[in-house]
Amino acid sequence: MLSMLLRRLSLGFITVALVSIIIFTGVEFLPGDACTAFLEREAQGKLLENCRRDLDLNRPAIDRYLDWASSAMVGDLGVSVNGQQSIAELVGNRMNNSLLLAFCALLVGVPLAIFLGVITALWRDKPIDLVFSTAAIFAMTIPEFVSSTVLILVFSAWLGWLPGIVLTSANASAAEFFPEIILPVIVVAMVMTAHILRMVRTSVIDVLASDYVRMATLKGVPYWQIVFQHVLPNALLPAINVVALTIAWLLGGVVVIEVVFNYPGLGRMMIDSISDRDLPVVQAIALILATVYVSVNLTADLLTMIANPRLRTLHMRK
Amino acid sequence: MIKIKCCSALLLAVFASSVMAAPSGTFRQAHELGFGSSSSLDPISKGRVFQITEKIMSRLIRPGLDGKPQADLATSWSANSDATVWTFKLRSGVTFHDGSSFEAADVIYSLGRVLDPESGSPARSAVKMIDKVEAVDPMTVKISLSTPFADMPLQLMDYRLRMLPEGSGDTIATTGIGTGPFKVEKFDAEGTTVLVANADYWEGSPGVARMEVIGISDGQARLQALLGGQIDMERGITGQQKVMLSGSSKFKLQEIPTGNWRGFVFRTDVKPFTDQRVRKAVRLAADREALVALVLGGGGIVACDTPVEPNDQYRANITCPQDIALAKKLLADAGFPNGIDIDVHVATLEPSWPTLAEAYQQQASKAGIRVNIVQVPTDGYWKEVWMKKDVAATRWNERPADQALHEIYLSTAKWNESYFKDAGFDDLLSSARRQLDFNKRKALYVQAQEHLWENTGTFIPYTVTKVVGTTSRVSNLDEVKNDAVRWHKITVD
Repeated sequence: MLSMLLRRLSLGFITVALVSIIIFTGVEFLPGDACTAFLEREAQGKLLENCRRDLDLNRPAIDRYLDWASSAMVGDLGVSVNGQQSIAELVGNRMNNSLLLAFCALLVGVPLAIFLGVITALWRDKPIDLVFSTAAIFAMTIPEFVSSTVLILVFSAWLGWLPGIVLTSANASAAEFFPEIILPVIVVAMVMTAHILRMVRTSVIDVLASDYVRMATLKGVPYWQIVFQHVLPNALLPAINVVALTIAWLLGGVVVIEVVFNYPGLGRMMIDSISDRDLPVVQAIALILATVYVSVNLTADLLTMIANPRLRTLHMRK
Repeated sequence: MIKIKCCSALLLAVFASSVMAAPSGTFRQAHELGFGSSSSLDPISKGRVFQITEKIMSRLIRPGLDGKPQADLATSWSANSDATVWTFKLRSGVTFHDGSSFEAADVIYSLGRVLDPESGSPARSAVKMIDKVEAVDPMTVKISLSTPFADMPLQLMDYRLRMLPEGSGDTIATTGIGTGPFKVEKFDAEGTTVLVANADYWEGSPGVARMEVIGISDGQARLQALLGGQIDMERGITGQQKVMLSGSSKFKLQEIPTGNWRGFVFRTDVKPFTDQRVRKAVRLAADREALVALVLGGGGIVACDTPVEPNDQYRANITCPQDIALAKKLLADAGFPNGIDIDVHVATLEPSWPTLAEAYQQQASKAGIRVNIVQVPTDGYWKEVWMKKDVAATRWNERPADQALHEIYLSTAKWNESYFKDAGFDDLLSSARRQLDFNKRKALYVQAQEHLWENTGTFIPYTVTKVVGTTSRVSNLDEVKNDAVRWHKITVD
C-alpha cells in the first residue's frame, strides 16, 4: 500500500511537471507576447523595446522557464507580468471563488444525483425513469453557454427574479456572492447532476442484476432490505470516482460558465491572462489545476481502496 | 388661465428638481477591461480606463454638443496672427478633488507629461506641435507651437488631455485626482470602481450621487447585465443585439454617428498598387451602401475613403457609387485587362472584418478583382500583419480631421499604413494648418480629402454608428459621443 502510494505520488509529480512544460511552450509558440498584447498598434520601435526590457522578456525562454520552475518548487509563484501583483494572492482569491462555486454545486448536485440515480434504477423503464433519464441526457448534451444564456434570459431579463451577471469583485467574501452566484450554480449543478445520475443509475442496475442480489431475493429477504443493505453500498462505490473527477472538472473546466456569467474564478482568469500573455499567471493556474486533478484522483483511488478491500491487493498479483 | 398656471407650476417644479435636487441614486455602467490588470486612472497611459477618467477629470477645452470647441477649464482662447502662439484664460475658483486649486502650473505639468517622449504616451501625437507651455500669470497660459496650427483648440479636445494636479504623476494611476464632476471613492478595474458626486464641481452639483463602473470583459455578458438591469448603460451595442432592446419599454436607445471606421489598406509602395489607377479601381469596385447594409445591418454612414467623420465641419461631400465599368477600364489601362488577384488579410480582432472581406470579395469579383481572404490570428495582428502584408484590414477610432489626415496619410507619419507618399497632399495639409480663415481652411481640408479619393490606397467604406442602450430609469443623457457627454447632467429614477 505504501509503495503504491509513493509510486502514484511520483507519477503525479511528473505529470504536473510535464503539464507545466507543455503549457509554457504552448503559450511561447503563440504569436505575440505580453508587450504586443498590451501595446497593440504601438508595438514597434522604442516603446516595444522598453516594454520588453521592463518585463524581462528578452532572455531565452528556457532560462525564464527554469527560473520560474525553481521558485515554484519552493512555493513562490512570482508576480504577474503587467500588474506587478503577487500571483499567490491573485490566484488565491480566484481559487476561493472557484471553490465556492464548486462547493455550492456539489452541495446541491451530489445528493440530488444519487437520489435520482437510485430512483431511476429501481423503477427502471417506468415513466419516472424515462423522464429523469431523458432530462439527464438533455442536461449533458446542451452546451453550457446555451443553458446559461437561456437561464439568464428567463430568470434575469424576463422575470427579473435573479441577477444575471456576477458583478462582485474577485476579493469579496463568500456571502457577497449571493444571490449572484445562484444562476451559475444551477448551470454547473445541472451538468454535474446529469453525469453522476447516469453513473449511479448504471451501477445500481448492475448490482441489482448480480448473483448475490438474486440469491438474497430467492432466500426471501425483503426488497427494501436488499436495496439498503446490499445494493446501495456496493453500487455507490464507483460513484466516488465520478464525484472526484467532477470536482476537478469544477475547478478548471467551467471556464465557459465563468466567462458567460462574468464569474471571477480560476477559469476566467486563465482566459484573461492568456490574452494578456501573462505567462507567469497562466503557468501558475495550469500548475494548480494539474495538481488538483492529480491529487483528487489519487484521493479518490485511496478512498475506493479503503472502501473496497479487494482492490488493495490488486497490484501485488502479477 | 388656470391651465397656464398649472403649466408654469409644472415647469417650475421640473426646473427646480433638475437644478436644486441633491444628487441621488446610482448610475452603473461597464467597461471592457481592455488592459486587464494594467488598467489605470492615468489619462495618458495606454491602460487608461476612459469610462472613468472622462467622469473624474476635465480638459481645457471640450467638444460641445455640436462637436465644436467649448470652454471647459479654459474660459477663452486666442491666437497670434500666424497661429503659432495661443493664449488661454483659465477658469478661476476650480478646485481639484484633493482641495488644491487649479492654476496655470497644473496645465504646464499636465501637458508637459504628455509631451515628454519618455512617457511614451499615445496621446503625444495629438499635441506634438507644442513647443513650450508657459504661465503668463496664475490664470493665463501661453502655448507656443513649433508650426502654425489654426485648429489648436480641436487638438486640446482630445479625450486623454485631462488636467491633473501638479506633481501627481506618480500617484495618479490609482488616485485619479481631477476636477471632474465625480470623485474616485474606490478604484478596482477588474471589479467595481465607485465614484461619488463632487459637490464642488464648477458646473454645479451632479445629478447622481454615485457611479459604479464595472469591469466586464465579455461583450455578451455586458449585454446580459443591461438586459437584467444590473447596469444602466452600454455603449456599443451591435446591430444584432439592438433587436433585443428596441421595442421594450424597459430600455431606451440612442443612435450616435461616430468617426470610427474599418476598412482595408492597399500598400501604395508594392505592385500593383503603386499604380494610382489600380488603387482607384479596387475602391470603385465596392458598393458601399450594400456594405453598410450587409456588414453593419444599416448601422453606419457611407464614407468615400475619407477618414474625416460625417459630422466634422471639414468633411468633404464626395459621392462614390460602385462603378464596375470604370474600375475595369482603369485596371485595363494599368495593364491588367484580365483583372488582378489579391490576398486580403483579416482577423477576428475586429469581428466585422471577415464579413466585410467576404462582402467585398463578392462585389469586387464583378470588376475582375479576385479576392482571396486570408484569415490570420488575432494575436500579434498589429505587429505581424498590419503594415507588413500588401493588403490588410485596419480600423481607426475617430480623430479630428487634421489629426486623422496627418496621422494616417502624411508622408512622414509613423502610422502611414498605406505608405502613402504624396508631396502635393502634404503641402495641402500644411497650408491648411497655417490658414486662419475658417472658410479657406475648410476648402483646403476638403481638397485634401478629394485628393485622397483619387489617389489613396486606403479603402474606407463607412463610419460606424454607435448604438447606446440605457435602462429607462436613466434621464438627461446627452445624445452625443461619450467624449462630449456632460456626465453631471445624468439623473436616475
